[in-house]
Amino acid sequence: MSKESNSTQAYDATSIKVLGDLEAVRKRPAMYIGSTGPMGLHHLVWEVVDNSVDEAQAGEADRVDVIVHSDNSVTVIDNGRGIPVDMHKEEGRSAAEVVMTVLHAGGKFDTKSYKVSAGLHGVGVSVVNALSEWLDLEIWRDGFTWEQSYERGKPLAPLKRAGKTERRGTKVTFLPDAKIFDTIEFNYDTLAQRLRELSFLNKGLTIRLKDERTNKQADFHYTGGIAEFIKHLNKNKEVLHATPIYAEADRDDVHMEFALQYNDAYTETVFSFANNINTVDGGTHLSGFRSALTRAINQFGQVQGLFKDVKENLQGEDVREGLVAVISVKLQQPQFEGQTKGKLNSDIQSTVGSFVYEKLMEQFEKNPTIGRKICAKAIDASRAREAARKARELTRRKGALDSGGLPGKLADCQEKDPERCELFLVEGDSAGGSAKQGRDRRYQAILPLRGKILNVEKARFDKMLAHEEIRALITALGTGIGKDDFDVTKLRYSKIIIMTDADVDGSHIRTLLLTFFYRQMRELVERGHVFIAQPPLYLIKKGKSLRYIRDEKEFRREVMKRATEDHAVEIDDGKKKVKLEGGDLTNFLMALAEYVELFDKLEKRIGDARPVDALLKAELGKKMELEDKTKLEIVARELKAEGFKTELKLDEEHNLYVLTYSNETLGERTIDWDLLSSADYRRLLDLHRRVRDFDKPPFVIATNGSQTTISDRKELLDHVMTLGKKSFTVQRFKGLGEMNPDQLWQTTMDAEQRVLLQVRAEDTEAAENIFTVLMGDAVEPRREFIETNALDVKNLDI
Amino acid sequence: MRCPICRKETTWRDNPNRPFCSERCKLIDLDNWLSERYRVSSHFEAPDRDQAAETKPRDSKEERG
Repeated sequence: MSKESNSTQAYDATSIKVLGDLEAVRKRPAMYIGSTGPMGLHHLVWEVVDNSVDEAQAGEADRVDVIVHSDNSVTVIDNGRGIPVDMHKEEGRSAAEVVMTVLHAGGKFDTKSYKVSAGLHGVGVSVVNALSEWLDLEIWRDGFTWEQSYERGKPLAPLKRAGKTERRGTKVTFLPDAKIFDTIEFNYDTLAQRLRELSFLNKGLTIRLKDERTNKQADFHYTGGIAEFIKHLNKNKEVLHATPIYAEADRDDVHMEFALQYNDAYTETVFSFANNINTVDGGTHLSGFRSALTRAINQFGQVQGLFKDVKENLQGEDVREGLVAVISVKLQQPQFEGQTKGKLNSDIQSTVGSFVYEKLMEQFEKNPTIGRKICAKAIDASRAREAARKARELTRRKGALDSGGLPGKLADCQEKDPERCELFLVEGDSAGGSAKQGRDRRYQAILPLRGKILNVEKARFDKMLAHEEIRALITALGTGIGKDDFDVTKLRYSKIIIMTDADVDGSHIRTLLLTFFYRQMRELVERGHVFIAQPPLYLIKKGKSLRYIRDEKEFRREVMKRATEDHAVEIDDGKKKVKLEGGDLTNFLMALAEYVELFDKLEKRIGDARPVDALLKAELGKKMELEDKTKLEIVARELKAEGFKTELKLDEEHNLYVLTYSNETLGERTIDWDLLSSADYRRLLDLHRRVRDFDKPPFVIATNGSQTTISDRKELLDHVMTLGKKSFTVQRFKGLGEMNPDQLWQTTMDAEQRVLLQVRAEDTEAAENIFTVLMGDAVEPRREFIETNALDVKNLDI
Repeated sequence: MRCPICRKETTWRDNPNRPFCSERCKLIDLDNWLSERYRVSSHFEAPDRDQAAETKPRDSKEERG
């Protein structure tokens, strides 16, 4: 009895059932493949490819070819065992035909042939057949080629044995039925993406995609499996650790592998697969992975003592920021849930969980650096989450307390229109008291703030704004805080005025406040709401006349003006005598004072007075003077005479000469265009030219006939200041608290008389820089900063 | 310019989180303020503490009123 005749009979006998199956599929295609749109169309390819991948998983195939032809028909070839061709006893047809025509028929072979099977949605290749205009099947098995053709699912003839072959495998070519699908145009990228994914999930398998419509082709072959998947997902990302963490194991009949790598982003990218099916809704394997990850990172962080700054354990969401992971399991007869079957239901959560936890701990112990980096990132995430929560809380508190919920120490104003209101942020309680009494309570509110002083160690005082102070500030301003809650239109005052003492503590508080505004309430600064009050430094009294003075320079001018009213200075340069008095003398002394100050500053920077002297003597200042050696040689001679070693070099990059000088104490120093073009040096040179004709000690001070001879310029300045101060009484305000409420009102708060500095964006940037330096632990940059920025602050003792 | 928290290079223009590189860093900064982690230190071994006082913003615009 020939196979053929038998099959023909069987074919006839079962045709009704077969037709019944195929009719059902063609009537409701969406039930089987999801839709008749592009998704459903591509689904056809997945069904066929899954059969080939099953062969690969069983270890019987290592190569799959997918070819899209120019008419949108598709060929899938594998080098597996080939679909069985023997007669199916119950059906009386070839097994291959049963597979191609009976729904879920693939399952009949699964338990025998495959340990695990994708069977994407379990419908099988018969659905592809039913929804194709035509389908050609070619099988290479047992030394022969077998062929069969179908139209819309119906076999045109039984499976036929053709010629001999050495090959093995299966080839399916089909053209999707244009009567069923909205479009039969395949998308190369969609195909490539899933085929790449399949080759990641089945390491060692080669999948070649060829598109004959465009001649595009790609080979997917990854020996690293899902670890390479991770690298692919993290391509062009900044990763936290170079190599992904990867592990695999077989336990309780489940094959499990996972790979993960963190990048510097905040989003989570996790793919989970069960038997190669992308379980988009996760399931037991994903929950097992996630809880193990959280547990492992917490455990490792505890052991390493990394959680000092964190109040509670890290949450799942903390450890998942920047996580890129793939978890893939393969198991027999997986249970899925839901319409789309995107969720794995099989009871494997604890199996996956203990596997992932164990392997992660192993890896962290082997590579503690990676573990610590991951912990640090998760801690940041946790802190940000906590800060966001606090911000919401602070903002909500404010919302609930429009009546009476303002901070207790705020002395609010009566006016409610923010346009007309001002808030003074005052340092310290005593100044706060004066300000409260002195203010115009209709429009001016006072919030006293105190910097918390921490005596960290001997000779070191740290200053900070306490938590309650910041809360009070945010509440008083009314704007809320944080990304979603900060609202500048809710600001309760149009002017926020920082009023602090003109001393170190005051400047620290001011720096802290400005930095806080700049970083967390930037719009207040950008919209010009922030100001700095300018309280006076001195009060000068003569008889009944009072004069408040705001800064040192103004004070010096005032004192010198008084001194020169009845004194003159005589200078003898050897040739002639010059007498300076009145305005000329004041101008000379002012210039001289600034000259001395700048000279000192430069001397500190350079380390020695003699190079500064030599530069000024040569009056070196123009760029062209560095283009040849003439002037620099003069300076060099001077320095040599003072015992320095000198050397003239050409800076070829700028084509300018540079003079280096050195001695044992200084080491090597440089005179170059950077130094000569600095603002300080330019100003110093300018002052030098203004004072040089008269800066010739000894100076003779003439007062009503009596004369005093002074040998040095600094002494001259001190002497004149002393003389000047004799003519009136001076009060120096060391803090706001030393002023009575009236004085504070008149000088600093009264809108008619006061001077305010408006803080602009670049000012706060300066505060930011200052803050960074003053706050830092590094002593060196702090010292350097203080030396270069704070040299003109003098402690005038009066 | 650099982000004050992570020190990564960042831009001022078109950056809603400036001076930070991201909302994350801004939140970490807020957490630092609220957890009293920011301290200004006067410690620099120089005998005259007053020298640390020069922190006045530069280029301020004077305004009457």
